[in-house]
Amino acid sequence: MFQLTTRSLVKRPGSFVAGFLAVFFGAAMVMAFGSLLDTAGEPGVPDQSKETLETMAFVVGGWGLALVVFAVVSTMSLTVRQRAREMALLKSIGATPAQVRRLVVGETVALAALAAVAAIVPAMGLGQLLFEALKETGQVDEGVSHAFGPVAITMGMVNAMVAAVVGALITARRATAMRAAEAMADASGAGGDEPLMGRARWVLTLLALLATAGSTTAVLTVLDGEGTDVMTGAGPAVVAASVTMALLAPVLLRGVTLALGWALRLLGGVSGELAVRNVRQRTGELARAVAPVALFTGTAAGTLSMQRVENLRLRADGLVADESSQTMETMNYVVVGIIVAFCCIMLVNTLVSATSFRRREFGQQRLAGATPRQVFLTVGLEALLVAGTGIVAGLVAAGVGLLPFGQARADAWVPDDGWVWVIQGAVVAVAFLVTLAASIGTARRVVRRSSAVEAALAA
Amino acid sequence: MFRVTDEAVAGAPEALRLVSVSKVYGRGGGDETAVKALDGVTLSLPTGTFTAVMGPSGSGKSTLLQCAAGLDQPSAGLVVVAGAQLAGNSEAELTRLRRQRIGFIFQQFNLLPTLTVLQNVLLPSKLAGTKINRAKAVSVLERLGLGQRLRHLPAQLSGGQQQRVAIARALVTEPEVVFADEPTGALDTRSAREVLGLLTQAVRDYGRTVVMVTHDPVAASYADQVIFLADGRLAGALQRPTAEEVAERMTRLGAWDAEDSPVAAHGVGV
Repeated sequence: MFQLTTRSLVKRPGSFVAGFLAVFFGAAMVMAFGSLLDTAGEPGVPDQSKETLETMAFVVGGWGLALVVFAVVSTMSLTVRQRAREMALLKSIGATPAQVRRLVVGETVALAALAAVAAIVPAMGLGQLLFEALKETGQVDEGVSHAFGPVAITMGMVNAMVAAVVGALITARRATAMRAAEAMADASGAGGDEPLMGRARWVLTLLALLATAGSTTAVLTVLDGEGTDVMTGAGPAVVAASVTMALLAPVLLRGVTLALGWALRLLGGVSGELAVRNVRQRTGELARAVAPVALFTGTAAGTLSMQRVENLRLRADGLVADESSQTMETMNYVVVGIIVAFCCIMLVNTLVSATSFRRREFGQQRLAGATPRQVFLTVGLEALLVAGTGIVAGLVAAGVGLLPFGQARADAWVPDDGWVWVIQGAVVAVAFLVTLAASIGTARRVVRRSSAVEAALAA
Repeated sequence: MFRVTDEAVAGAPEALRLVSVSKVYGRGGGDETAVKALDGVTLSLPTGTFTAVMGPSGSGKSTLLQCAAGLDQPSAGLVVVAGAQLAGNSEAELTRLRRQRIGFIFQQFNLLPTLTVLQNVLLPSKLAGTKINRAKAVSVLERLGLGQRLRHLPAQLSGGQQQRVAIARALVTEPEVVFADEPTGALDTRSAREVLGLLTQAVRDYGRTVVMVTHDPVAASYADQVIFLADGRLAGALQRPTAEEVAERMTRLGAWDAEDSPVAAHGVGV
């Protein structure tokens, strides 16, 4: 088994790129925030600075951790899923479920370890950047210097490993629970008869929903009117709501497709029909792309617009002098920006990986007589459904965080500031463009590189 | 754009013509890595015939089929399908030409897994934007014994049934030529015989032209004629072939060692 593990990692690096990137960026982000704890632990750091550093690491780093776990689990299960056929093959030549599981987990651990180690150097830079921003805004004493040490590395490594192994186990369980023949049929890509969401997913959704409800309640009760502390409840609320939406992605996508299918058929003709058919038959698979869109839109629109309200409030209260209020604002955006950038990277990562995997299907469409343009149009319309579902879900999640935050922080449910809506609009535009560009761009590359022949005959 | 050549139009009803078709893979210019898969193949197939193409592995039979069907561009030479030349076109134009004139059947069926049987058969006409004759698609499927399966997904069918759907899809647009690449390669003997019977019927009863690449002498024996390829060149033909004759010829071409011959040990290879 070990030999198989190393062979499959070395011989086909392409199929592991998405998983590697997810762990790499995730670990870099976690380590960067973790290094703030290393810094706080250095001897001679004044209490005030120590507290700021710890709050930043725990609160903001904490939401980041939730995002990283979700992103890595989702990408890992996508990577493993794409190899369903290979697993079926292994089972058919006599591998026991335990052996298949060991193979998948072994590969994943090796991959995650490599990615996490590779993330150390970039994480040092990112941590330094975060620290400098804190120092420049006067939240940390001039005398303190940045440290990157055991806490950062341990947090990053443990997080990467746990998330990767959980992701691998979830999918390996699915692959190994099936009989070999079923697995072969499933690998043909017809989409199974299984329910949209398994029991475990419903349980997780419920947990995420409870977390959302809990933090929102805290914002509206204990934290109401507590100044800058409101954010410590509202931030997690946005992330929890976004994760809830991402978990619900299959159900949401099914609903949106049912509601808007006719319009797509009307607009897109045969391409529209194919797109709707594909989404309906493969809701589970395409929902993997909806999840990062929802996560990106929710966290970006939610945290950025809350930050805007927070900044306005700080300025109105005159708590900070005008000039430093500017830097404070920049600082806040740096922190939120890191998280948002991570979500955006995950979005592209998932879409590129999911679309590349459809090479054979595109070839089959070509052979049935579809021109390249008809294939792109189909992919584009599918992306439209995916983006639309994710964006609406993300905006709902952002609202769940933003409205109570506005009430608790500024006594107004709906923020009375045009920029908040500009931010939300910009986030929507980015989510939309990135989804479309990543899907169609990858489809173009795949269809170009593989002429119809290659795809059909590489059966 | 495809041009209708006067010459081709003037001739007898001819479904497919290849003139000095060559295909070189890898870099040209005498480079050592370049491989000549097809070397100046010229042939002409009349409408309403069933032709099998055979040859040892690497003889260029799949390349021949792909070039003839417009799935790949020959490095040199002419391919004319029912009077229209396939050459120098963009992918989109080639696609349009293919879907008007050519039907495909593959070893791996290549049905779209998310579409039902009926939708798969209707797809080519829908993509072409031509009038969709649903009744005709249903009647073709019924003739192929799939009347009860119209709403099934491909994954719910057996291999033989899936291949019959693929045949229905290839025939329903009434193409000038149907190309079949190892159509029985993934099937059991009985389903294979059914599929070959259906292809023969399409030629006899409906006047279609079928070109089939195969390595199975029994499959080839269903054809009107067998064309042999070796090293990218034509290496003879057999009219009204029997499986034994085909097997013997293949053995002489070095396709099999004597004891590996699927029919019988007919002498020793060259």
